[in-house]
Amino acid sequence: MLAVAIAIGFVILSLLSPAFLTEYNLYVMLRSFCVVLVVAFAQMLTLAVGQLNLAIGALGGLVAIAVGGMMEKLGFPISAAVGLGLLIGLGGGLANGLLTVRTGINGFIITLATASVFTGINLGVTESIPFYNLPGPFVAFGVGRFFAVPYLLIPPVLAALLLALFLARTAPGRYLLAVGGNAHAAELSGIPRDRIIVLAHALSGLLAAIGAILAEAQLGSAQPTIGADWLVMSFAAPIIGGAALTGGHISVAATALAVVLVVLIQNGMVLAKVDPYWVQFLLGALILAAVGLNRLRAVRVEAA
Amino acid sequence: MKRSAGRALLRALPALAAVVALSVGAAEASNNKIALIPGGPHPYFAPWEQAAADAKKDFNIAAVDFKVPTEWKLNLQTELIESLLTQGYNGFGIFPGDAVGINTTIEELASNNAPALALAGCAQDPTKAAFCLGTDVYNSAYLGTKALIKAMGGKGKIVHLAGLLVDPNTKLRMDAVEKAVKETGGAVTLIQHITDTDAQEAADQKINALLGAQKDQIDGLIATAYIPSVVAAKSLRNLGDKRIKLVGIDDDKIVLDAIKDGFAAGTMAQNPYGQGYIGAYVLDLLASGICKVRADAPFIKTPQTARFIDSGTLLISTDNIGSYKDDLKKITNDIRSSIKSKYLDCK
Repeated sequence: MLAVAIAIGFVILSLLSPAFLTEYNLYVMLRSFCVVLVVAFAQMLTLAVGQLNLAIGALGGLVAIAVGGMMEKLGFPISAAVGLGLLIGLGGGLANGLLTVRTGINGFIITLATASVFTGINLGVTESIPFYNLPGPFVAFGVGRFFAVPYLLIPPVLAALLLALFLARTAPGRYLLAVGGNAHAAELSGIPRDRIIVLAHALSGLLAAIGAILAEAQLGSAQPTIGADWLVMSFAAPIIGGAALTGGHISVAATALAVVLVVLIQNGMVLAKVDPYWVQFLLGALILAAVGLNRLRAVRVEAA
Repeated sequence: MKRSAGRALLRALPALAAVVALSVGAAEASNNKIALIPGGPHPYFAPWEQAAADAKKDFNIAAVDFKVPTEWKLNLQTELIESLLTQGYNGFGIFPGDAVGINTTIEELASNNAPALALAGCAQDPTKAAFCLGTDVYNSAYLGTKALIKAMGGKGKIVHLAGLLVDPNTKLRMDAVEKAVKETGGAVTLIQHITDTDAQEAADQKINALLGAQKDQIDGLIATAYIPSVVAAKSLRNLGDKRIKLVGIDDDKIVLDAIKDGFAAGTMAQNPYGQGYIGAYVLDLLASGICKVRADAPFIKTPQTARFIDSGTLLISTDNIGSYKDDLKKITNDIRSSIKSKYLDCK
């Protein structure tokens, strides 16, 4: 269904604009795809265990300015700054998970609070002033490409493959879905429920950190606002991809296809020269239509 | 001999300092606490910090502080202003993130005898803001588009990259771009306005999508907000495209480098430093009760307010890229030295 919608979108957009299938436009779309994909995966993992992560964007912003600050102000080499940035993301996610299981408070509330904490640290450290002078090779990676394929696409593709492998072939991966599907039954069968929830949040934080570092390379500066508008997309893509909000059902491939669809819609808005005062409305309506169609398909499958 | 000369110099120092202070317009130290408050975090306002520090020093004001709301939200800006009022601040230079919504807060300030100026953007009349000191956004966008059209050889297709849709100035800029295009009698056409590009991630996505799909149809880009100017300059450089002409706004290093290297035809400079510096100076005079705004002052009338002062705008191009800062300084000094006699009634 998603693949069909994407195919129709491709045909319509290439008819609307001959430039749609040019190398540069494909590069632009693939580049937009990178950050959204890992952000969608970050949310998808918490959805898998029946939780929500509202702190994805805030944690992403914190990682972005931490990595930028380490490179620009402290002179850290790129690899060290990126490594530490990933650790900050993992740590932030770990904190979300531990707070959720230790307090018994829903992850929705915990991540709502930690989002404010992460944003607060971000603004406190930067006073809203971005880090502009990032190392040349880091910025070059963000804009580099091989024909239409941006180098920036490599980490998300690797993340997708590893994630698919993790979910399908490893015990903790399968436990994630088991806990999301029926936490009580999972616990009875000996699955460490709390540890799996912590794992989901930690990996979600790690993926948010990857998204932040990619966004930073893409923009060429460490903006405190990175992540500010991730939340809608982080939910839209996994849900269009068929993830259940109650947990237990996610798909790496379907989420990736949903991201392609969302990027197509965004690209199409510009191509179709939509009245600027109606862009936001139309984007929301199209996402709603995509979610609705997918739900309709699921209901039909269940009925059959 | 040397010692007595040194003593004489020491004795002369206070007098010398007084002469210097008088020469920049501050007759005596004031106890006023002035706050300069943007609508939210944005690089445009970064020069206000230096302007605040310079105004404090040059005009002997007890405090001039640059305070930034954590986000672009009216309630956060209002809370910050109210908190500063309770901390004893008695003069406020405000960028109204919400041109109408800010008026309730400005009225609250007025009822507490704390004067307010709208800086960099105007509050919508009727307002208790003493006046508005900012860029004439309509004129700036109009002149920028004219410069773009000239760089394109008077014909072609252009796209307008604009800022936040909720900012009423965006509509004024759209109208100004349309006016300049209309004046070409059809030689130049406006393909579209792309808006809400005043956040880095959104600008990157929208501008690159535009260039990806339509770069061969576009001859010129006019950016009337800070972030899209930076992103467009960067994108054209990445694309290696010098055919598409760009005229941006403000003087971010990325845009200036693009002008130097031929990826941008120019950028419309605004005067944020002057807005902060002159704003603090006037607020000090108003808060001290020394001056009042003249009822018959020669303000400019705009669609938003009948009390507007243009803080200056000019086109930066390869011709003046090395000297435009001096030009802006001159504009600032000219406005500051004449503002008292032109717009204020002082004891």
